[in-house]
Amino acid sequence: MKNHSMKRVLRFGGAVAFLGFASTVSAIEGPQVIKENCLLCHSETGKAEAPFSRISQQRKTPEGWQMTINRMKSQRGLKLKPEDERVLIKYLADTQGLAPSETADLRYVLEREPNVIEADIPEHVAGTCTGCHSSARSGLQRRTADEWEKLVHFHMGQVPSIEYLAGHRDRPWFQIAVNETSVKLGEGYPLVTKAWDDWKAAPKAMLNGDWVMSGYMPDKGEFSASVSVMPNKKDEYILLLNGHYADGSKLSGSGSAKVFAGYEWRGAVVIDGRKMRQVFAASEDGKTMTGRMFLKNDDVIGGAIVAKKATKAPVVVAVSPTYIKQGSTQVLKITGANLSEKISLGKGIKVVGVEKKTPDYMLVKVTASAKAAVGNRTLTVGSTATDSAVVVYDSVARVDITPSDSIARIGGNGGPVAKQKSIYRAIGFAAGSDGKPGTEDDIKLGYMPATWSLKPFDAVAEEEHDLKYAGKINSQGIFTPGDAGLNPERKMSTNNVGNLTVVGTVTEGGAAVAGEAHLLVTVQDYVKELIQ
Amino acid sequence: MNFKQMISPAKRLGAVMTGLVLLGTGLSAQAATDEYLLTVTRPNQLHVIDTKTDKLLRSCDVPGIFGNGGIAASPDGKIAYVMTNKWEDVYGFNINDCKIVFSMKQSSKGVQVKSMISMTVSADGKELYTVQNPVKLHKDHFETLQPRLAVYKTADGMNAKPVRTYPVDRRITKLGFIEKTGEVILGGADVKAIDPTNGKIRTLAKLQNWDRSPEGWVPPDAFAMHTLGEHIGEYIMPYFTIKWNGAPGDMEKAEFLWGMTKVDTKTGEVTSGEVLPFEFIVFNWLTDPNDEDIVYGSFNQLSKHNIKEGKTLAVQPMPHTYYNINMLQDGSKIYVGGTSSDISVHDPKTLKKIGSIQLSGDMSTSDLRIAKVQR
Repeated sequence: MKNHSMKRVLRFGGAVAFLGFASTVSAIEGPQVIKENCLLCHSETGKAEAPFSRISQQRKTPEGWQMTINRMKSQRGLKLKPEDERVLIKYLADTQGLAPSETADLRYVLEREPNVIEADIPEHVAGTCTGCHSSARSGLQRRTADEWEKLVHFHMGQVPSIEYLAGHRDRPWFQIAVNETSVKLGEGYPLVTKAWDDWKAAPKAMLNGDWVMSGYMPDKGEFSASVSVMPNKKDEYILLLNGHYADGSKLSGSGSAKVFAGYEWRGAVVIDGRKMRQVFAASEDGKTMTGRMFLKNDDVIGGAIVAKKATKAPVVVAVSPTYIKQGSTQVLKITGANLSEKISLGKGIKVVGVEKKTPDYMLVKVTASAKAAVGNRTLTVGSTATDSAVVVYDSVARVDITPSDSIARIGGNGGPVAKQKSIYRAIGFAAGSDGKPGTEDDIKLGYMPATWSLKPFDAVAEEEHDLKYAGKINSQGIFTPGDAGLNPERKMSTNNVGNLTVVGTVTEGGAAVAGEAHLLVTVQDYVKELIQ
Repeated sequence: MNFKQMISPAKRLGAVMTGLVLLGTGLSAQAATDEYLLTVTRPNQLHVIDTKTDKLLRSCDVPGIFGNGGIAASPDGKIAYVMTNKWEDVYGFNINDCKIVFSMKQSSKGVQVKSMISMTVSADGKELYTVQNPVKLHKDHFETLQPRLAVYKTADGMNAKPVRTYPVDRRITKLGFIEKTGEVILGGADVKAIDPTNGKIRTLAKLQNWDRSPEGWVPPDAFAMHTLGEHIGEYIMPYFTIKWNGAPGDMEKAEFLWGMTKVDTKTGEVTSGEVLPFEFIVFNWLTDPNDEDIVYGSFNQLSKHNIKEGKTLAVQPMPHTYYNINMLQDGSKIYVGGTSSDISVHDPKTLKKIGSIQLSGDMSTSDLRIAKVQR
């Protein structure tokens, strides 16, 4: 198996092969790195279960540990060899990481998904922590009660103005943070949990093998790919991607990945000349990976990924589009592996035939009768059934734009911070049985092609000519903000900020249905962190 | 520390002013007072401006990294105490020659001490007060300690150490001094006064802990980066609040209001209450010396209001943000500064711009203070 993999690597490209083979097994172990580098300030506790002060009392994601080490280097004088740093992060994320269930709801912040409006923010975190951090930032840490308290004191020393900030100074922020918030964080996010104990003890699946992936890139659209994942050294893989973009053009790429805590997949790949990052979570059985892939240097440009391990039976990862209009003929792209041509979508939908078949997808022409029942359909491909794979609908009655509320940031123009774009997609809905859009029984159809435009959000934006200065949106729903810096053409020479409405219009049979989203174009973010 | 070489007319003027300052004793009438505008710019210089000519007299290099640009002038106007080094150290400058006559460092080994612009001087000029926010730096963790009022003797000169300290509340910003009672005003969540001889604290005005129902009012956001009102002996702590005329959260019926706690720094008399509807952000306010009902405010605009009638009288749009505002004690000129590198001079009657003073760097959050020197 290994030899076979190596041959394939060599065949597919020297650079990747070099990346894979160049790394040698490090002789040094995590605890040794701590002993040699950290004990000037940290102390050994003498307790086997928590040997180092301030270190052994916390659990974090790989990004969380990376940030801690970055801070120790920039603020506390830590000097660490790059290879020792890699060993330390791997050791800490593996032995003091988070269980899959502990990260499941908060992965967006690891995936660097832009414009997430967080839900279910704990009351004690809102207002105390969320003025500066995402709620996920604390939600992705586990500490002892004493450690949470020390974290509050750390903030007071590190950011002395913290209790004077707007939104903090109208209450006794420090007293609340140290006496109430830290206690509740200790209760909600304790160091010791059954989830982590169970996960640590559970066998971890190897992730090598053949996978099929479906994803989205804002500037390329939906894509599909076969992914060969080959083992390198422990918890490290080499991967090769071969697939197709939405227009049928070929996609190819390669790279490497490291897995932390048995499921946290972090990949670095080059796809068609573009450097990209993968932040995925493997399912506990090791058969599915979900997450986000984005451009290394422009992390807004990315999209959700689903990958499934290929099996002898057909594997279906995605269907696009996810809707069929009554009385219409439609070509569906079914992304998957080992796909059978025995396809069914239930009563009222006739499978006309398979138009194209590749290792990663097939195109299937289907016709829905005018009387086909409105609602979700199960797709059967050979022996594999996928529930709610497509929906039959009568007409598009409503369009929502996602994200509904968003920000982009001016940048570039010779300044140190690049522009932060924002991206939009249109989601169509049918009216449902009551015939009225905007009600609970609306039927979600999925992403639809749309045309994009901008308008001023309000009268002030109109008066300030925000539309002229704040940026442009292209046909793919990608908004690029204006240049950074003062603009003498504007009132008070202000920079190219603005308050806009993004309009996405879906046209179907001559009828246009539009949806709107709010876009605030604001100033640069000078403190961009791995976990915002 | 060093006399900054300025263009020659300003230098000559500086020499003249120095002569006048050395002469001046015994005259108490307003006309016998020279007023100097003081501010700090990046990278870290104290600037002394003659308000007669609106020309820069001299610039003094301030040791350390730029802090918040906080300034307190001695009552005789001769010494400017400047907070520097990231809100930690204070240097006292003779404004006539930039000579440093006082210094103190608040942090010590193992304890980081910051002052959030909290600094004032006693009416006799003998004591300097800061509110210190200490954090103990242990080997592998921090420990937040109780804030304290620190009392320094200005006569102690260089490397002065506090002669007394007393515990105070957290979140204190600007300080003032009440001449009659000898107390230091502590502007924080509430406005309080502390007796710097024994640490006894009394409340002058409850703000965040006021006795109003949360059903009817949002507890005020009381905050001020800059000390203002020395032109007439006044200390203003502005605040913002919301009055719920309907259910709490019903913005349609809500009133957004500016309030002010004012302390007469001669007598200690306090007035506190809502004065104006909130129309736009104002960073700093000050009272017209000739009409206590008239206040001026600065931020993205210079504005004039009648607080007795709750009316905005005039608004002058500004070319950029100015955090700070001050004026002469005879009410003849308004100075708007802070943020950028120019001080804008305005006529209080019309708010029209009548002059400008260009500085060598940005003022950022710095104070804009007036030193009054008796001739």
